[in-house]
Amino acid sequence: MKSARLAVATFAGNCAGWASQVAGRGRGETIRGRVLLAVDPSALSKLAANRDIVLVSGTNGKTTTTANLAKILADGTDESVSTSEFGANMTAGIASVLMQQPAHRLVVLECDELYLPAMYDALKPKVIVLLNLSRDQLHRTGEVRKIANLWQNTFTGDDVTLVIDRDDPFLEFAANQAGHVLRVSFGGRRHPDAATCPQCANLLDWTTGDYACNCGLGSTLAQVRADHRLNGPARNTVLAIEAARLMGAIVPVELASDLTAQAPDRIAKYDVSGVSVPTRLAKNPESWRGALAGITASNVILSVNARGIDGLDTSWLWDVDYSPLKGKTVICTGQRRLDAAYRLSVQGIAVEVAQDFAHAVEIAGSDVEAIASYTAFQDLAAAQLGIKGATGGRS
Amino acid sequence: MSLTIVRLYHDLLGTYGDQGNAEVLVHRAQARGIDVELVEVTPHEPVPTSGDIYLLGGGEDGPQTVALEMLRTDGGLTAAVNSGASVFAVCAGFQLIGTRLPNSQGRTIDGLGLVDVETIYTDEPRCVGELVIRYSQTITQPIMTGFENHQGRSVLGAGVTPLGHVLSGIGNGRDGVDCVRPEGVHVAKVFGTYMHGPALVRNPALADAVLEGACGPLAEYVDEFAEALAAERRTTLWP
Ligand SMILES: [Zn+2]
Repeated sequence: MKSARLAVATFAGNCAGWASQVAGRGRGETIRGRVLLAVDPSALSKLAANRDIVLVSGTNGKTTTTANLAKILADGTDESVSTSEFGANMTAGIASVLMQQPAHRLVVLECDELYLPAMYDALKPKVIVLLNLSRDQLHRTGEVRKIANLWQNTFTGDDVTLVIDRDDPFLEFAANQAGHVLRVSFGGRRHPDAATCPQCANLLDWTTGDYACNCGLGSTLAQVRADHRLNGPARNTVLAIEAARLMGAIVPVELASDLTAQAPDRIAKYDVSGVSVPTRLAKNPESWRGALAGITASNVILSVNARGIDGLDTSWLWDVDYSPLKGKTVICTGQRRLDAAYRLSVQGIAVEVAQDFAHAVEIAGSDVEAIASYTAFQDLAAAQLGIKGATGGRS
Repeated sequence: MSLTIVRLYHDLLGTYGDQGNAEVLVHRAQARGIDVELVEVTPHEPVPTSGDIYLLGGGEDGPQTVALEMLRTDGGLTAAVNSGASVFAVCAGFQLIGTRLPNSQGRTIDGLGLVDVETIYTDEPRCVGELVIRYSQTITQPIMTGFENHQGRSVLGAGVTPLGHVLSGIGNGRDGVDCVRPEGVHVAKVFGTYMHGPALVRNPALADAVLEGACGPLAEYVDEFAEALAAERRTTLWP
């Protein structure tokens, strides 16, 4: 039964969300949740009670995988599924999703890595999908192994099933105290940030294409074996399908392979003065590598910011190999365009610098694609919707 | 003229893009017509003693301890420095060339002792943010910038000179025996700093100082992108 306090809190939150929308500040998701929690701090647990919840966390692909999983789950159960929108993945954004359709039993939520322990406690999810961990926003989260440690300390019970890519040593470590783990193997691949063991810090042995450590980490048997040629988005789709199955969805084998083949990538098409610019979001070395590998146009815009969500330290630009851009016309823009331009020039890639995105598109002409860091991507989306300034959450 | 630059243990000490320092040194040396060889040393490979400049980057606590023990056992870096080689060490690398530092369990252990700097453990807040320093040497544009991200605080011993003095940010986080608000260390040809960015990317004058330590006075060279980036960071952070 709904408590009176929760009802008042829900009403207050909805009013604030509506007011924020009317005032043109975006979708009002976060403000709605914030007001709800201010009126009733225990609203999260109350809204989560008697519902079957899946959380999705990890460094890259949270937003896309969450949407993908919600759809697979809805199709495979013939039930409505409540899910996160706009990547709002911290407490207030999650509260907002839960209050909107309290009658929906199934809920798929994106969750920030650092908020995962608190959300696990408050929401009692049935399944958690842990996507790969790699270096991201070093100024905020510190180091990859700190998140792996935090997760390992969190998942010690047997009330949840973790779905992980067992080729990722950080995830294997994060899950090794958990009661139930569904491990998917993609045939082993060297992790760019795991030269050393997440458990004991000694060098991992990668000579077999798989990893092993004297302390015992490594070589855990996987329940599911998937194609080793899959790229990042496709691997995440495989994990989403397995999570949906654990939640009771029927996903036939042929459908699963179709879904994996059409794995969604996060590409938005922005229209800038009549030119359509397919734009990829990239926010850390691993997602930049993925985005660069997907570029086919001969003119490429790189928009690099270093505001809050992007990470304030741009050193990682030097950890990415930009050789896929050789021979193309490359234009750097964004607040930290000079950091990007100098990095590319040292790698021997000819580069131009533009004041802003519109100017970059002007230089590029047609046949252009863009890669944008998080806030640059948000600014483009906001400009497209006619909203001033960046809105929404994070991935 | 030829120059050998040795990049040490990128897998262990390469978390923060500091290998950009190697690329920039190579780039700026080649621009002066210097014949450069970049040698990558991976863990368990012997460290050559014939290099001119040795580079150490930043890394996480566990790998830092592993790298330190390997360098201690190998002995190559210490031998090279004793016979006059240069070192440019950043963050975890800076800490491990000192006399003492906390290991990954927080216990104090001996460093390589290439410079008289002791890094201490503290539960004060982590030092994270843009760092602006005034370089200790007299040059036309002594304001330098980087991004610091470290927990330890470093104390310079008597007579030990810092790389610069902090104008904004934390730097070493403790006054030295003979200096206040120091950042990093610079003794003879050994440079240590908490500046990521990478440091030699954002501060071309510092890159040239490291190169000159190894091969003497350099020819004039202006890289427009490097100068524009250095100036943009400087004017944004220290207007
Ligand atoms: Zn181990």
